Amino acid sequence: MAEVSPNLRAYLARLAVLGAGLLLLAGAGLAHALGYLPTLPTLLLQYAGVIGVVWGLNGFVFRRLPLSGFLLILFSAAVFGALFFIGYFLQSVAGPFLIDSAGRFIGLVHLADLAFYLLAGMTVAGAAGCAFSRNIIYSAWSLLFAFLGVAGLYIFLGADFPAAAQVLIYVGGILVLILFAIMLTKQIGEDPKLTNAHLGLPFGAALAVATLGTLTYMAVMAPWKIEPAQSWQPVSAGLGIAFLTEYLLPFEVASVVLLAALVGAVIIARKEIKETSDAVLQ
Amino acid sequence: MTTIGLPHFLIVGAALFSLGMVTVVTRRNAVGILMGVELILNAANVNFIAFNHYVAAPGTLTGQVFSIFVIVLAAAEAAIGLAIVLAIYQTFHTIDVQETSLLRE
Repeated sequence: MAEVSPNLRAYLARLAVLGAGLLLLAGAGLAHALGYLPTLPTLLLQYAGVIGVVWGLNGFVFRRLPLSGFLLILFSAAVFGALFFIGYFLQSVAGPFLIDSAGRFIGLVHLADLAFYLLAGMTVAGAAGCAFSRNIIYSAWSLLFAFLGVAGLYIFLGADFPAAAQVLIYVGGILVLILFAIMLTKQIGEDPKLTNAHLGLPFGAALAVATLGTLTYMAVMAPWKIEPAQSWQPVSAGLGIAFLTEYLLPFEVASVVLLAALVGAVIIARKEIKETSDAVLQ
Repeated sequence: MTTIGLPHFLIVGAALFSLGMVTVVTRRNAVGILMGVELILNAANVNFIAFNHYVAAPGTLTGQVFSIFVIVLAAAEAAIGLAIVLAIYQTFHTIDVQETSLLRE
């Protein structure tokens, strides 16, 4: 047998523990799903598996933070908690390893639900990035993801025309306008990392949490009168008819508002430039 | 059959609204405040379209019509708001809302 260097041996040990942890996780999950293992031993075994996976992975990633002892236990608990909540969430969505009474596996995940959670996650993550980023450019790019996620949610709700308008107007228009404004108002030599300072962030966060809690409570508890599920039909023709019959006056007023906004924006933004050009001419 | 219902969308809308509000309240950069306003308008739109899909009678498009009007007004608001930001910048040479508290030059 050839000489094995200690480096390679440590590497192989990490790999073996990683594989054993993964096997333990999958085996305990499967045994629990098939009904051989009660819940508590499953959780303990999976926790042990997570510890093995974390220790094994630590040989390859985050090597500057060697995990051992108490730190390893704590970090593994955090990872396990996150995995547990993700699994719980997925199970409430569809039940990844759900088995019906006849012993057959039921479908893995409802794709529509998964699409909703992905889009909602993208939207909320983008909005959070916009709200908390230190750099205003990053805020603007986060806003891009929030807008795209909202467009996806519109499609999920069968609103194809608003989704297209969202992409064209918000992503193609307003976001570009915002980026232009950022570029035009940046002082040269200013530190871009601090262009987006906060004021009273704890108060703002408390306000946001209170608002979110209240609105969520209302959304969940209110007895909404839900109509039976509607089929997904193209809405453009219906929207066009609505705009030109029932909503004709608001539609025309909106046109006038847009024209006024266009002219007003030009006048407001070019005032100073005109004066400086006058000064140059004099 | 999907398990997603109206409350899911209302919660997403609530999260968007809360994050937009925290942006408006805490930002010192005027452009950042306008971004928060856009988030709030998007939250309202999500609610409009969700109610249109789940609560309105089949075949009605009132919520979607309103969402289009909101998008139109958001475009106008962004144009005017950013023009005002540019005017503020030309006057004060900063867009920090803490320092632009004078009503005249």
